[in-house]
Amino acid sequence: MSLLEITDLAVSAGDLPLVDGVTLDIKAGEIVALVGESGSGKSLTALSAIGLLAEGLDVTRGQIRFNGASFLGEGAQDLGQVRGRDLAMIFQEPVSSLNPLMPIGAQVAESLIVHGVASVAEATEAAIDMLDRVGIPDPKRRAQQLPAELSGGMCQRVMIAAALISKPRLLIADEPTTALDVTIQAQILDLISALAKQDGTAVLMITHDMGIVAEMADRVCVMYGGRIVEQGAVEAIFTAPRHPYTGMLLRTIPRLDHPPKQALFAIPGNVPSPKNWPTGCRFNTRCDRKSGRCDAVPALTGDQHRTACFHPLSEA
Amino acid sequence: MNMVLPRFSVQKSLAWWPAVLLAALVCAAVFAPVLAPLDPDRQNLLGRLKVPGYESRGVTYWLGTDELGRDILSRLIYGARISISVAVLSVLLSGIVGVAVGMLAGYLRGWWETLLMRLVDIFLSIPAILLAIITVAVLGPGFFNVVIVLTLTRWPRYARVAYGQTLSVGKRPFVTLSQAMGGSVPRVLWVHILPNIIGPVLVVATLEFGLMVLFEAGLSFLGLGVQPPTASWGAMLSTGRNYVATAWWIATFPGLGLFLLVLSANLIGDRLSDTIGKGR
Ligand SMILES: Nc1ncnc2c1ncn2[C@@H]1O[C@H](COP(=O)(O)OP(=O)(O)OP(=O)(O)O)[C@@H](O)[C@H]1O
Ligand SMILES: [Mg+2]
Repeated sequence: MSLLEITDLAVSAGDLPLVDGVTLDIKAGEIVALVGESGSGKSLTALSAIGLLAEGLDVTRGQIRFNGASFLGEGAQDLGQVRGRDLAMIFQEPVSSLNPLMPIGAQVAESLIVHGVASVAEATEAAIDMLDRVGIPDPKRRAQQLPAELSGGMCQRVMIAAALISKPRLLIADEPTTALDVTIQAQILDLISALAKQDGTAVLMITHDMGIVAEMADRVCVMYGGRIVEQGAVEAIFTAPRHPYTGMLLRTIPRLDHPPKQALFAIPGNVPSPKNWPTGCRFNTRCDRKSGRCDAVPALTGDQHRTACFHPLSEA
Repeated sequence: MNMVLPRFSVQKSLAWWPAVLLAALVCAAVFAPVLAPLDPDRQNLLGRLKVPGYESRGVTYWLGTDELGRDILSRLIYGARISISVAVLSVLLSGIVGVAVGMLAGYLRGWWETLLMRLVDIFLSIPAILLAIITVAVLGPGFFNVVIVLTLTRWPRYARVAYGQTLSVGKRPFVTLSQAMGGSVPRVLWVHILPNIIGPVLVVATLEFGLMVLFEAGLSFLGLGVQPPTASWGAMLSTGRNYVATAWWIATFPGLGLFLLVLSANLIGDRLSDTIGKGR
């Protein structure tokens, strides 16, 4: 059974569609990567799932079910009960995601206290354990410190500890490492996948780095222009990508066996803003396989490995 | 230049005097019964309007006597009690009310925001002195009624500051995250918003403290405040005004007290706002 099931989700700002028909599911314990260039609607999809869309943005269509319970439309359940307990989120900016005036131990303990699952003393104890698990040295002393006394990487570990302390069933991580330097990025990602595996937590990992995807994800969803253009198991996507956009994304990964001096591949053109999305396939302004058919919207077809393209790179 | 060093140390030693002065005035107020040489209300009709330093029957009236022969120094010390306690109470009350209103408006937004902030606008548009006269007409003059008047007129300023600060703090990711964790409204406000907006609120509160001292004096001056024979700087100014030509000391010393109290509060407020501004 699916843990998180997003069906035909559409989000708009007033009349402007930003996410347009996203269907995505995550099974218990699975790590799913949501990839795509900036502005493709990854964050909005995630924020819809956790019910934290900014003011002025609305879900105009679709269904979101978590653990079998619906969050949208009629019979919707109270997200507050679920958030922070079964469903947790880590944001991109670790430093600003922490309260600058609250000791980090208390911030890690927060979700246990808010949901009344532990007394303050127990929660504090658990927070110190959790800080230890995410690899913060001398957690007992560190728990008393303020975020400003910690490095960015440490702060991101604190965020992970805060998100995972209540053993959520799903963790949504929105580009958890973009604010960190490269050596620390790998450590943080390893930490997230290790902890998720230990606790059986499913992860929705949002990123635009295909390298990260290859390393940690079980499945991949590729987004472009507010739609899913391809989804499937990591091996399938990496060995036989079908959508031309996925193909280009894969070519952007720097490789050690590249001839030196050859420039890294960059996808030609720019991501059109939601105001200038073309009709039909949204990638048709940048695609090298475009034909007349691409002025119609391609359906997402396939069984395990699904793609929305009239001229796929490889056939099913 | 070499000038930097001496100037720095002079500045450093000067920086403390507002705090020292304020502390001294507060001590005078707190320990008034011990410090005051005489009973502030004891009249001596034979020793009326005597100059500072006047001596009679072994008692020295260091700052002179007033129109009823009461010791000005003792009345001044007891008057500090009124000024400071009225100011502290009204700053506390208006601060609590205003910050609560402002935080709710800035955090809940929507319908609450409109309602509460329009209420703030309405209160700001009523002239303070009019509100004071109405309140005194309804409740009668007196210590607690002065506090009520000041609270009614001053809370909107805190509400404005708290509202603006809450709007900006409320947008920061850790607040969103705390909501994401299922934190209730009171908890988010208390644990995450309040500590992060309290700095600017404190700056306003210090500056307001000086204003409250002046307001209290003004109300007492007009006879709307603390009633005689209780010593109050505003009331002393008011009676002293009739004797400026003949007995300058009656109005001068409470005036000086007001000046020093307000000045020290304002200087502390300025410094606080500088430090908090730098901390950003
Ligand atoms: N509050 C908003 N109001 C209007 N438009 C918005 C708002 N938030 C996001 N958008 C637009 O929605 C589109 C998708 O945004 P989203 O944040 O989901 O992108 P993303 O895929 O997460 O990109 P990134 O990799 O840069 O984080 C963007 O074009 C963005 O400009
Ligand atoms: Mg994003």
